[in-house]
Amino acid sequence: MSTTEATPDTRHAMGLPMKRKEDARFIAGKGRYIDDIVLPNMHYLAIVHSTYPHARIVSIDKSAALAVPGVKAVITAEDLAGAGLAWIPTFHGYDKQMVLAVGKVLYQYQEVAAVIATSREAAADGAELVEIEYEPLDPVVSPFDAKTDKVLVREDRENKTNHIYHWEVGDRAATDAALAASPVTIDERVYFQRCHPAPLEPCGSVADMNAATGTLTLYMTSQAPHAHRTVVSLVTGIPEDKIHVISPDIGGGFGNKVPVYAGYVCSAVASIVLGVPVKWIETRTENLTTTGFARDYHMDVRIGADKDGKVTALKVTTTADHGAFDAAADPTKYPAGMFGICTGSYDFPIAFTELDAYFTNKAPGGVAYRCSFRVTEASYAIERGMDMLARKLGMDPAELRLKNFIKKEQFPYPSPLGFVYDSGDYHATLHKALDKIGYAALRKEQAEKRARGELMGIGISTFTEVVGAGPSKHFDIMGIKMFDSAEIRIHPTGSGIIRTGTKSQGQGHETTWAQIVAEELGLDPQNLLVEEGDTDTAPYGLGTYASRSTPVAGAALAMAARRVREKARKIAAHVLEAPESDVEWVDYAFRVKGIPSKSVTMKEIAFAAYTNHGPNEPGLEATYYYDPPNLTFPYGAYIAVVDVDKETGHTQVRRFLAIDDCGTVINPMIVEGQIHGGLTEGFAIAFMQEIAYDDAGNNLQPNFTEYLIPTSLEAPSWETDSTCTPSPHHPIGAKGVGESPNVGSPAAFVNAVMDALAPLGITSLDMPLTRDKVWRAIQEAKRA
Amino acid sequence: MEWHGHEEVAASKEQLWTFINDPANVAQCIPDVVESTVRDAHSFEAVVKVGVGPVKGKFKLKISLDPQPGGDRMNMKISGGGFGSAVDLVAGADIKDNGNATTSLDWSGSATMRGPIASVGGRVIDAQAQRVISTTFANVKARCASSSA
Repeated sequence: MSTTEATPDTRHAMGLPMKRKEDARFIAGKGRYIDDIVLPNMHYLAIVHSTYPHARIVSIDKSAALAVPGVKAVITAEDLAGAGLAWIPTFHGYDKQMVLAVGKVLYQYQEVAAVIATSREAAADGAELVEIEYEPLDPVVSPFDAKTDKVLVREDRENKTNHIYHWEVGDRAATDAALAASPVTIDERVYFQRCHPAPLEPCGSVADMNAATGTLTLYMTSQAPHAHRTVVSLVTGIPEDKIHVISPDIGGGFGNKVPVYAGYVCSAVASIVLGVPVKWIETRTENLTTTGFARDYHMDVRIGADKDGKVTALKVTTTADHGAFDAAADPTKYPAGMFGICTGSYDFPIAFTELDAYFTNKAPGGVAYRCSFRVTEASYAIERGMDMLARKLGMDPAELRLKNFIKKEQFPYPSPLGFVYDSGDYHATLHKALDKIGYAALRKEQAEKRARGELMGIGISTFTEVVGAGPSKHFDIMGIKMFDSAEIRIHPTGSGIIRTGTKSQGQGHETTWAQIVAEELGLDPQNLLVEEGDTDTAPYGLGTYASRSTPVAGAALAMAARRVREKARKIAAHVLEAPESDVEWVDYAFRVKGIPSKSVTMKEIAFAAYTNHGPNEPGLEATYYYDPPNLTFPYGAYIAVVDVDKETGHTQVRRFLAIDDCGTVINPMIVEGQIHGGLTEGFAIAFMQEIAYDDAGNNLQPNFTEYLIPTSLEAPSWETDSTCTPSPHHPIGAKGVGESPNVGSPAAFVNAVMDALAPLGITSLDMPLTRDKVWRAIQEAKRA
Repeated sequence: MEWHGHEEVAASKEQLWTFINDPANVAQCIPDVVESTVRDAHSFEAVVKVGVGPVKGKFKLKISLDPQPGGDRMNMKISGGGFGSAVDLVAGADIKDNGNATTSLDWSGSATMRGPIASVGGRVIDAQAQRVISTTFANVKARCASSSA
């Protein structure tokens, strides 16, 4: 597979920087988000949260709340138990989670009661007046404390331990032997802190039970509407045809809107019981403190190498903090997601990784945050580890990487931890990055600055992602295989409607989906309407997360379009009065072989499909369910250049270059936008964001004054470029890109700061690299 | 969070002991009390205005007094909360007769904060909580002295 640049000028629609079709309504303020939905006689739901991280519930007094004018009901776990809804299964099905606290609270801010009222204000007033008496218990706030089992978080479980599961992959004995025999080794713990996706729009729902039809309509902020419909049907017993999930415009998801939350369930129960529509809109604090967090992996990284820097073995041992429920949204067979990608872009002869997960008195989760099932954690571990190895060897980190990259002729590459990488040319991509940023000159400048006592750092991250879950033989969510689907219907005048099982939260599907179909059919992408998020109309799919939309639904679209094209060929043969075998598709039109002048466009065939279809079935539409044969493996080479002020600890990211290879690019402008967004999130994780808990179990970042979101003032100016190594098994060669920048950038930032601090003897600091943390490290180094 | 302090009260040990054994007196000494209700000889409830950074509201507190035998020490337990936050505070004061019609009051206290109030920032909370406790004992000093004069 060669590395080539995209050549958009030869394409009909693919590869063109088409402006986003959806932006017209967003820019005009005409988007329709969950809180824009107002139904007649709609009631409002507010949730009462626990102040304690771990406590028995002695009593709940609803009386003062019920006395508030407008308050219609107060729901507790006892009420839900009557409907069999006190507990619901977590997404991968190995655990269950409380909807409202049952008997005791397991983390601070846990949902304890729900108040339903005729107005938002009355519901909030009522929630403040629900009196809950607690008997405090000692909290477990660290997975290492959880290991002792001195305090049990989950008394409801049969196994009286905080240990949830052990997972491992690879050859332990051979890896240990190889490490023991390696002349050079590193053995370091790196912590990827607990953080939160924090979408601009928090979660919410409007539940509307129509007693006359028996249909429950659920408007909800869902990244996976069909999966949510199935879950609702399974836990409530309501037939799936009587559940209509509509996911309207979504203001960012990043994985946060994959799980099922208490507000969704309580609004549905309230609507069923009260017979009125019930709206629940989360506050910022509720979003940050109760919905799915990300990361929280403590990783011990061991790498072996020979004296020349050729790697010999990798072992990563992880302790994972899952909070109070095992609610990680991972595929059933992959409790630690795709963490096996921790061998990264390097040709390790042998590797082993294992993980133990624990319950603690913290909010549950373990969702993405723009990362495919733990890929960011794995990427961070290996990219930090390679930098530490380079330092120990006294090698340039770029040279070490180039020495150990998987070579392009090794693809498809079977990794020692079980993946088969589809394609890549890692050497070409890193060389392009080094040339473009002027690496040699930067190292020279760094040497000069170091001689003057100034702290400048250069950090490299050459990550490989694994996305596009996934092949049905391996990947499912609660037993539902992770295929995806597309339906294309072409109208008589050559316009059409496209529906998929995915759901855009800002990714630009309304544009890119139209471009894929337009490219395959030679139609105008402006006249192809894309519709997602309505389970009554869209074909069944598993939704949008984990960079799976383009690798899976994008492939389904291309395949459905090709089905349309084959149908169209039959009609073209009738119109052109030629045998079908003589009709070829050339330059986005059907023509008779050898007679270029005798041709018809797809638009003309569309009209014929309804007016002159001849012996063929009329109409022009197709559906395709795509079960990918393999995952896809986007990759990139990122370089950060930083200056650290040793008097204040402030890090200035002077430059950041991202060379991404996501295979075939559908819309380079949208890809660039995705990369800018992901890099900004990666910057926030590296320097600003952590959901930390104090020893008493208090969540210390329950709002945006504590949990920081970078604005354009803080974010660096991003430099982007690309190489293109198409995926050989994807119909259009696309690999997906949405999460790459978040996966790859944290290690580049941290490696750069560690490089800057190296002259002081500082080798490892955990994110976020806040000014005070860096300043303290500098002061301690000075004292040492 | 733990704090301690010292007050010299212009009253005899017996006068001070009598003063702090009366819940109504102690309720008057807590700063920013909106209303208070004595429940029994050793406990009362109070609604207190609280403002820590952006977190502002009213706390509903239960306060119990625990006089130690011998009349040399008074323990006090405060628990309660509001607007999604909670506090558990334990304080105590050792009382010593100085022999010159004044009494030493050595106090200490510790608190556990929970909820949004705990996230405002340790130094801010620390300063606020210390202010509440030190003001309480300063008020004990002032009010006891004036009632004994």
